[in-house]
Amino acid sequence: MNVQFKKGVLDLCVLSMLKESDQYGYELANTLSEIIQISDGTVYPILRKLATDGMVTTYLQESQSGPPRKYYKLTGLGKKTLISLQQEWLTFSRSVNQIVGGDAQ
Amino acid sequence: MTREEYLATLKSALHSLPETDIADIARDFEEHFSVGLSQGKTEHEISAELGDPATVAGTYFDEGLDDIGHTMKESAAHYAAAASSASANRPAAVTPGTSGTSGNPESVKAISPQKDLAGARLFVILLNVLITWWVAITVISTLFSFWCVSVSLLVGGIGSFTALAAAPGDWISIFVLFGMAGILLAAATGILNFFLSKWTVIGSKAYINWNKKIYNEGF
Repeated sequence: MNVQFKKGVLDLCVLSMLKESDQYGYELANTLSEIIQISDGTVYPILRKLATDGMVTTYLQESQSGPPRKYYKLTGLGKKTLISLQQEWLTFSRSVNQIVGGDAQ
Repeated sequence: MTREEYLATLKSALHSLPETDIADIARDFEEHFSVGLSQGKTEHEISAELGDPATVAGTYFDEGLDDIGHTMKESAAHYAAAASSASANRPAAVTPGTSGTSGNPESVKAISPQKDLAGARLFVILLNVLITWWVAITVISTLFSFWCVSVSLLVGGIGSFTALAAAPGDWISIFVLFGMAGILLAAATGILNFFLSKWTVIGSKAYINWNKKIYNEGF
């Protein structure tokens, strides 16, 4: 898949994945890399950016196996941003599909 | 590549960042290795999955990531704008990171495409509230009265024929005349009304689609 395509939507993907539950980096990296074939390492710069922008906060939590894990949690701003990005994405992808000739609905 | 090699390469590629940032980032990757190892992967497998450390480090400086940052700020500005207009209902969840972005000229420029859509939506709403509703009422009541005329002509025509039975001889021809004329006029106006109604329905559908298009996509 085209790298330029992925770049713009990674933040939206990460925010969406955090919508249902808080997750730690490894989990997010693994799921994302499986679904859209990015290298695991790409997720951390994005998480850091999201934290800097106040979209997510982090906290440490002990785990049954291995060391404590840094969990990422959506902030109120993150949730609102997710909603607006989701809308933008849906409108945008619909328009692109119309031009490209994919499934317009 | 082993965990140590990976982290060393990563750190050296990040050297231009403040030390606290480098330490933070390294901690994230150390945790990643630990979790991976606890799930039975080898250091080499984990390194391979993470991707080239120099490339990953580059992503922290990447313009692409900056763009993502802008998208975030843009959306934050949208939200800030939406929240301030609706603040009467609910207090906005203001986080320190965003308060600075709303006044920034860059983010104002970035939200203008959304403003165009807002203008288009306002136009659609005003058009319907100010003009369309009474045009619609006028058209519908006109059509309704036309149909009333047809129906009453039909009823009158049929009524004339039924009155024949009770009428004295001299009046019969008048009743027949009225009856025939009533039914013929009812048929003629009925056909006319049918087409007028059909065109109204077609026109309304086109109007509604046009509204939807402007509302969703702007001008």
